[in-house]
Amino acid sequence: MPEIAVVDYGMGNLRSVAKALEYVAEGQNVVVTSEADVIENADRVVFPGQGAARDCMQELVDRKLADVVLKAAQEKPFLGICMGMQVLLSHSEENNGVDCLGLYGGDVHFFGKELKNEQGEKLKIPHMGWNGVHHKKNHILWHGIDDGSRFYFVHSYYIDPEDASIVEATTQYGFEFVSAIGRDNVFAVQFHPEKSAQDGLQLLKNFSKWNGQ
Amino acid sequence: MLLIPAIDLKDGKCVRLRQGKMEDDTVFSDDPVAMAGRWVEIGCQRLHLVDLNGAFEGKPMNADVIHAIAEAYPDVPIQVGGGIRSEDTITTYLDAGVSYVIIGTKAVTDPHFISDICAGFPGHIIVGLDAKDGKVAVDGWSKVSKHDVIDMAQRFEEDGVEAIVYTDISRDGMMQGVNIDATVKLAQAIHIPVIASGGITNLDDIKALKAVEDEGIMGAITGRAIYEGTLDLAEAQAWVNSQES
Repeated sequence: MPEIAVVDYGMGNLRSVAKALEYVAEGQNVVVTSEADVIENADRVVFPGQGAARDCMQELVDRKLADVVLKAAQEKPFLGICMGMQVLLSHSEENNGVDCLGLYGGDVHFFGKELKNEQGEKLKIPHMGWNGVHHKKNHILWHGIDDGSRFYFVHSYYIDPEDASIVEATTQYGFEFVSAIGRDNVFAVQFHPEKSAQDGLQLLKNFSKWNGQ
Repeated sequence: MLLIPAIDLKDGKCVRLRQGKMEDDTVFSDDPVAMAGRWVEIGCQRLHLVDLNGAFEGKPMNADVIHAIAEAYPDVPIQVGGGIRSEDTITTYLDAGVSYVIIGTKAVTDPHFISDICAGFPGHIIVGLDAKDGKVAVDGWSKVSKHDVIDMAQRFEEDGVEAIVYTDISRDGMMQGVNIDATVKLAQAIHIPVIASGGITNLDDIKALKAVEDEGIMGAITGRAIYEGTLDLAEAQAWVNSQES
């Protein structure tokens, strides 16, 4: 039976992600794991994450998973979620600056305390709640999901990749930030598909069928 | 995680009920607009307004006060529950600047209502489920239905609601601590966020909810604890903020 590994590196409870995957990935085994060989042998890898960038990186290093995750991201269908997307970049300004995995060049920035919308109203940080996700490309993982569909976000930092060609979607919150990226076999999103109702489940379902091309 | 102070309105005043009983109320302020201002000032990012008379009458009874609060604090999202049982009422509230309406009894007794209004007012509908032992209660908690709370929440998720406000009614207003297990169980069974309500007593309850936030707990509604002073909302908000950035 094909297997989807959900990488567990101590950053948050992953049952919500795993349960959503179990719900949509028919005929596949979903395992929550911190074992390198399980991740290496899985057919697909989901890399979630919550909390602070420094803690995430520290846990990945302590558990000797940083290289395992990077290797998976070069070989097989790979889905990063929230912090699991942010740490794919080279550097985060969180916690006075943290070096990250560096799969993609670019920084992770704080939204700032003085964020305002077009009407000049102050916006709250963290950006929390439902917001529209606007596709920049026709990626296969958007199959069955309308352009502009709303997904559920919880985050205070956003990514700023150097290579604009990896941007798969953007979202408006004070300004237009990058809410999804992708290249080759990797797709990564800032929002939480596991908490985004039918469109979120559709994305996870698309991922569960994706061959990475 | 959002900390959401509740302003329960009865006869134009800010009150708290014990166990949902209209006759068992405590008045905390004669000036709900000023009370809202106090919570906005300490940095709350959402307000939870409940029209108690409306919930019992089945139509808005404190709309003037709610409109006044929405007008006074346009930057703070407001969710309103109590007595919202028609599309006209929803239109009136949204026009007044309310961000979300919370449908309770009507969602349970007339499930088609939710699919209709989710189509008509996308992004503005929250369902409030009051539950005891896993079953949904209706009509100001006077009746416990046969409906399983998880089954109903899953149905509303498909209809397209924004979130579920989950109130454990054996705990609400009793300050006995949050029913974390039941709240997490619901959050895990659905793919939309849950706002926890009922039973929050002190900062430990906020910390306990924050610890399970990534199960999909979007926020926590708190009432009696902030009025009686067992929870310092400013301190709690500062603690939550310190965890989030």
